[in-house]
Parts: sequence; structure tokens; C-alpha cells
Amino acid sequence: MIKADKITKVFGKNTVLEEISTTVHQGEVVTVIGPSGSGKSTFLRCLNLLEVPTSGEIFMNNNEITSSKVNKLEIRKNIGMVFQHFHLFPHMTVLENVIYAPQKVKGLDKSTAVESAKKLLAKVGLTDKEDSYPNHLSGGQKQRVAIARALAMEPEIMLFDEPTSALDPEMVKEVLDVIKDLAKTGITMVIVTHEMNFAKEVADRVLFLDQGKLVEEGKPTDFFQNPQSSRAKDFLDKVL
Amino acid sequence: MNLDFSQIVPYIPFILEGIGATLKFVSISIVMGFVLGTLLALCKITKLPFLKGFAVFYTSMFRGTPLILQLMIIYFAVPQLTGYDITAFLSAVLAFGLNSAAYISEIIRGGIQAVDRGQTEAAEALGVPYKPMMLNIILPQAFKNILPAMMNEFITLTKESALVSTIGYLDLMRRAQVVGSDIYRSFEPLIFVALIYWVMVYLLTVAGSLVERRLRQSD
Repeated sequence: MIKADKITKVFGKNTVLEEISTTVHQGEVVTVIGPSGSGKSTFLRCLNLLEVPTSGEIFMNNNEITSSKVNKLEIRKNIGMVFQHFHLFPHMTVLENVIYAPQKVKGLDKSTAVESAKKLLAKVGLTDKEDSYPNHLSGGQKQRVAIARALAMEPEIMLFDEPTSALDPEMVKEVLDVIKDLAKTGITMVIVTHEMNFAKEVADRVLFLDQGKLVEEGKPTDFFQNPQSSRAKDFLDKVL
Repeated sequence: MNLDFSQIVPYIPFILEGIGATLKFVSISIVMGFVLGTLLALCKITKLPFLKGFAVFYTSMFRGTPLILQLMIIYFAVPQLTGYDITAFLSAVLAFGLNSAAYISEIIRGGIQAVDRGQTEAAEALGVPYKPMMLNIILPQAFKNILPAMMNEFITLTKESALVSTIGYLDLMRRAQVVGSDIYRSFEPLIFVALIYWVMVYLLTVAGSLVERRLRQSD
């Protein structure tokens, strides 16, 4: 469970997030949508403290993680993140990418790490690529490796920051399919996305952000068919 | 034209020993410069003002004064202050190592800053601590990009090493001068060591391209 309590983020004179409060329950899949610059990514990056909120608190399983006493690295072990631009380690093979953190951070021995990495790579359909370098993979393959890499830490929560926005159209589906499969396993997920059909299909709840504010949230069927706020209506008119 | 290379033949073993003498302190200086330079580069990119200030000041001092002056200060001036009778070898290693660290730190700093910010974020998001993140993720990528600049620095260092002839260290250069004054001929011994320097730098260049090719494996 992760809970944001009135988190605000200010960059210089720009208020990017304004008093956002929401709770993501265990096993819940939440999608975050909204126009560009609405603060969706910043919100997501606050959840694993890649950005530290200017004010407000974040709780994970009822422990405050925004307190200065908390070791950020410890928190992040339990929160996997997938980036828009993958950020795979280019000098390591696919397998090395996946086993790196379990070995270095969790202290697993190599054979255990390799064994579970191979299972994960099979799960994302990349068994034959384990010895390739990231530069030799397509965008969709890179993103699936990135998902396997994050899962290798066995996190409680997975964060996805526009996982398909940097992909060629024909590769979007393969990545979304992996994420959908993952959603069925009961892992908690927060997904920032521009893929509306996907957001509707995969989510238990949708958050709509605009200009740094949480304007509306609700079940996907309610939200997409019958948005309450005029801003959400405008947005959906444009993208659907 | 009055050339007679046969005159230096008896001195060839003496001159060749200079290769070892030169390589010995140059290689130690390179390692020292590299390790210190890496540490200084890390100091420059921290948010800790003291470390950053120190590293910037250090670089400014060693880049802002002539290398030969630094060498003289270490060899002649420091013993006057401390009473410690420093050897020419140690002075050479210190002067070249400390000096080279200043240049290398700038090269490495640039290399680290050129690595995509996303790499740091990906490592942080996985909970990787600072030290392994630097050692296993950021620095290997930085080194790949800066290898040509680094080779340049090593080549410069190898050639500038001839400056130690001014403090009486019997390196290649000094040996050429000794032979020259022995046989009253300058051209032959100087040309001979010039050739040796050129071959050494050439081999260094070849080694550099081999390393570069290895690092490009992942491209």
C-alpha cells in the first residue's frame, strides 16, 4: 500500500504538483492520465523519491518514507520502476542487466540471480536475447528487458512512466501485453500512460491530473463514459 | 654532412636502459594520475562544497603553473623546507602523477557528465548505492567515451617525461645528452632517442585502439 498525503512539488517558481492525495491499495492497478505537463510523471517519480516532494508526506505500508531519516535506497528496493526511455545499462548484456541489482543490492549469489532472471526473461518473451546487448534490441524488446530488470528485485509495487511513449507503434502492443499479464498476477501498479484503451482495460482506478492537480479519480468505466469535471471531458474529447 | 652513427654503437646498451628508466616512472605516474584524477573528478561532481572547492583549486594550481616548475619545487625546494632528501625518481613520479591528475580529472568529469542522467536514475530506482553505481555503471560508460582524450594525456605524459632530465634523472633524454657530451656529437644520439620515443608512443597508440575496440563490443 502506498499513500500520498497532500504532496506538492515546486521547481523554482513552477508548482508542478499541488496537494495530491490518494492511496494505492495492495494489488490495485492505478493508471494516471492527463495532458502533457500535468505533473503525471513528477507524481510517479515522487512515489519512489526520485523527486522529493516540496511538502506533504508519502507513506508505504503506514511508514512515512518522505521523512529525512529514511534511507531512500531501502525504500526503492521495494518499488520497481520502468522508464519511458528504458535506461538499460548499455555496457551489460540483457542477462547482466537483469541480475545486476539482485546481486549487488540484495546480495543474491550469481546462480540464484541467473536462475530467476532466466524465468523473468522467459516471462517477457526474450529467452533468446539474454546474451545480446541493449543496442542490438528493438524498442519493444528493450522495454520488456527493463520490466524484467525491475521485477528481478521482487518489488511490492511497480511504477511505469509512460512505458510505450518512446516506442514505434507496432511495438506498443507487445509491451502492453506484458504489463497486462503482470496486472493479473496481483502486483500493485501505478502506470502513467497516454494509451487510453489500455488505461481503461487494465486499471482498477483512473487518476486524471491537470495542471498539477488531481482533478478526478474513479473506476475506469465511470470515468471514461461519464467524466464529472469539464477538464476531463475536454481531455477525453480530444484523445478518444 | 658529417654523420657517423657507428660512434654511438658502444653507447646503445646505455641508452636502451633509459627506456626502462623512463617507462618505470611514467607508468607509475600514469596509474597515480588516473586514480587521483578519478577521485578528483568525483569530488568535482559532488554537492559537498568543501570537496568541490578543493578539487577545483587543485586543478587550477597544477594547470596554472609550468610542469618543470612543479618538478623543481618538489626536487629542490621541498628538501630545503623539510630536510628530507628526496630522490630524483620519487620527485619525478610525484610531479608527473600530481600534474597529470589535474588534467585527467577534467577529462573524467566531462566523461561522467556526458553519461545519460537516466543511467543514474535507473540505478537509483533499483536501490543501487553510490559506490557500485559509479564503479559498475557510470564510470565504465564514461571511460568508453573519454578513451581517446585519455590516450592523448598518456602520450603527452610519456613525451613530457623528458623534463626529468633537468633534475639529473637518467631517463632516455638525459642519456642522449650524456652520450652527446661524451662523443662531442649531438645529432646521432638525439635522433636515436627521438626514434625510441616515437616507437613508444606508437605502441601506446596501438594499445589504445585495442582497448577501444574491446569497449565498443556492446555497440
